[in-house]
Amino acid sequence: MRILVVEDDSVAAEYVRKGLMEAGHVVDLAPDGDLGLEMARAADYDALILDRMLPKRDGLEVLADLREDGDAVPVLILSALGEVDQKVEGLRAGGDDYLAKPYSFTELLARVEAIGRRSDPTAAVTKLKVGGLEMDLLARTVRRDGQKILLQPREFRLLECLMRNAGRVVTRTMLLEKVWDYHFDPQTNVIDVHISRLRGKIDKEFDEPLLHTVRGAGYRLQV
Amino acid sequence: MVGSIRKLYRNTLFRLSLLGALLFVLSLFVALGYVYYAVVQSELRRVDRSIDAEIAELRTEYRESGERAILLAKQSGVLSQFATPDSPLYRRIYTEAGLEPVGRAIILRGLSYERLYILQTEEGVIGNLGLQPEDLGEGFLDAETLQKDKTEIVFEKPVDGEDNIESNRGRITTDYIYLENKPVLRLIVGRDVEAVMRTGERVRTAILTSSGIALFLGLLSSFFVSRRFALRVEGFNRLATDVRAGNLDRRAPRNYSEDEMDLLAEHLNAMLDHISRLMSAMRYAGDSVAHDLRTPLTRLRTRLETAAVELGDTDEAITLYEAAGDADQLLSTFDSVLRIARLEAGEQRGLLKPLDPKPILDDLAELYEPACEDAGLSFTADIAAKTLISADRGLLSQAVSNLLENAIKYTPEGGAVALVCRKRRGGGVEVSIRDNGPGIPSWDRERVKERFVRLDKSRSLPGSGLGLSLVEAVADLHQAEFVMTDNDDLPAVDKGGDPDRPGLRAALLFPRVKSKLVDTKPETEVLVKP
Repeated sequence: MRILVVEDDSVAAEYVRKGLMEAGHVVDLAPDGDLGLEMARAADYDALILDRMLPKRDGLEVLADLREDGDAVPVLILSALGEVDQKVEGLRAGGDDYLAKPYSFTELLARVEAIGRRSDPTAAVTKLKVGGLEMDLLARTVRRDGQKILLQPREFRLLECLMRNAGRVVTRTMLLEKVWDYHFDPQTNVIDVHISRLRGKIDKEFDEPLLHTVRGAGYRLQV
Repeated sequence: MVGSIRKLYRNTLFRLSLLGALLFVLSLFVALGYVYYAVVQSELRRVDRSIDAEIAELRTEYRESGERAILLAKQSGVLSQFATPDSPLYRRIYTEAGLEPVGRAIILRGLSYERLYILQTEEGVIGNLGLQPEDLGEGFLDAETLQKDKTEIVFEKPVDGEDNIESNRGRITTDYIYLENKPVLRLIVGRDVEAVMRTGERVRTAILTSSGIALFLGLLSSFFVSRRFALRVEGFNRLATDVRAGNLDRRAPRNYSEDEMDLLAEHLNAMLDHISRLMSAMRYAGDSVAHDLRTPLTRLRTRLETAAVELGDTDEAITLYEAAGDADQLLSTFDSVLRIARLEAGEQRGLLKPLDPKPILDDLAELYEPACEDAGLSFTADIAAKTLISADRGLLSQAVSNLLENAIKYTPEGGAVALVCRKRRGGGVEVSIRDNGPGIPSWDRERVKERFVRLDKSRSLPGSGLGLSLVEAVADLHQAEFVMTDNDDLPAVDKGGDPDRPGLRAALLFPRVKSKLVDTKPETEVLVKP
């Protein structure tokens, strides 16, 4: 993906750039709001990482200007202001996701890949398929290698979220937000327990595991 | 109507002005009463005095005339020199002579009917009162009708000739003239007091009417004055409620009349300005500290992470991941402090709305049930249907989640955790998390709600000491009560050498909600994209 990072902290921006490039993305950097807006207008990016507090032009203003132009580029808002109400404000302004500092890089990577243009997790598909694992979104059924797997409604949503982001890391926080709609981080390993139950159902009786744990980051569903 | 009158009666100013109006009417009544007394009673007393004077005059005339006749009779030899009042002739001469001038006087004076007279002797009655001997009672001495000294009567007064008669009130005094202790004459003298009495009646009516008018106007004005006052006070109350609800930009309306209320509004506004300045200073400090701290922490975290990734699957990498985790811990503590501060400021009160907590608690039960099982605890959820509380899904979830995590963390393996939601008596709702772990001693239950307080036993376990502070702040925002008590519901498990300890029941007691259920769907759901 081609990603524009608008961030005034050059050290942090450099780390983000390095990390994203290592993950195989093309990255441009913009140090302030004006330049960020100019660059976003000039080139066709697959995703924008936008700091809220920027010199010259506030991150939300940049976003509002872009949306006014009719530019639907996916935007991940990045900010030190992590409170829920500000999160809501950012999403209302047209952001696609919101991440509070300090974020782990894997969290940033997972989220930017999840919203990026090349991936479209919201696309109107009726069937998802990862290896031998198939999910029918209309019939609400899951099969692996033709064998039916019974899932609880929440397990179904959990698996759906993982399948829509197949091949990419999905963090615990993302799962908590997207599957349970909670915006706080539990101290205990609640998500891990749910994942291990799901794993017991989709992987246990099969040779090749699909659901992988990524250390320090989250989970990935991959062949 | 009754309600609004009752409400009005609770108004201090209304009560004061009502009291003022009543006192004013009372004083007015007393003052006018004095006027009545001065006009009517003193006039009647004057009448009585003039009657008394006339009686004295008539008596004197009667006696002098009688004695003079006796003297003449004795000189002329009609009466023996030695005759005494006992003798019938003496008596006859005396009374006839006495009656003559007095009778003439009363007939002349009584012609206008302004003055009223009756003279009664053993022989008969004369006078203008039109009373017959039978009206005056049997006999002469023991007649009871007019026995009293002073009395009021109604008499018939001819007006413009004989045919036209009107009934007027009169005031009469009765007196007797004695000769040697035997009454010889009953003398009744009176005055027409109709005019005075009429004046008195008019004054009385005027007093009652004016008092009534004063009372009515007093009530009316106290009603309007206090309503005006009450409206302004109510404005202040509404303002205070709004500000408490987190709308710090509300201000009291001013009319710049510089009266007390206007000055109060000015002072309130100045105070609110000050509060919001302090609040924004605090928020600014918090936000900038947050920003300033988070930026280097983000770098620190990213550096550690990048290094860990570069090291691959080595022990050093694990150490670096752990260091990054420590940085996360640091920040989550910092986040919690900020979040608690914001909750305490009450800005999020606007998020609260009436909802049925069951779906929210079901979600939490579903989220935590596997974690309980994983920790070797049995988990039960007993959530009543169709209860109503005023809450925000996110905040309630976070508070209950904190309590559930505490229960999971502190209850030893083999124990039990329960999430209970039920109606309380009086219409409130209790959301409680019960366990049969070690519990919290009663003397520590308030202390653990303070920030960074951790009990000795829990120091070995991870945690920041902010979990219960956050629960308390969420409870406060919801106007709910956060109480911790012993829990006797669940069977005891081995609690590490303290078998008597009864476990913990951490309950959020929500007040009754009056308004209707609006919407149970969280607003954020539409905003978070799948």
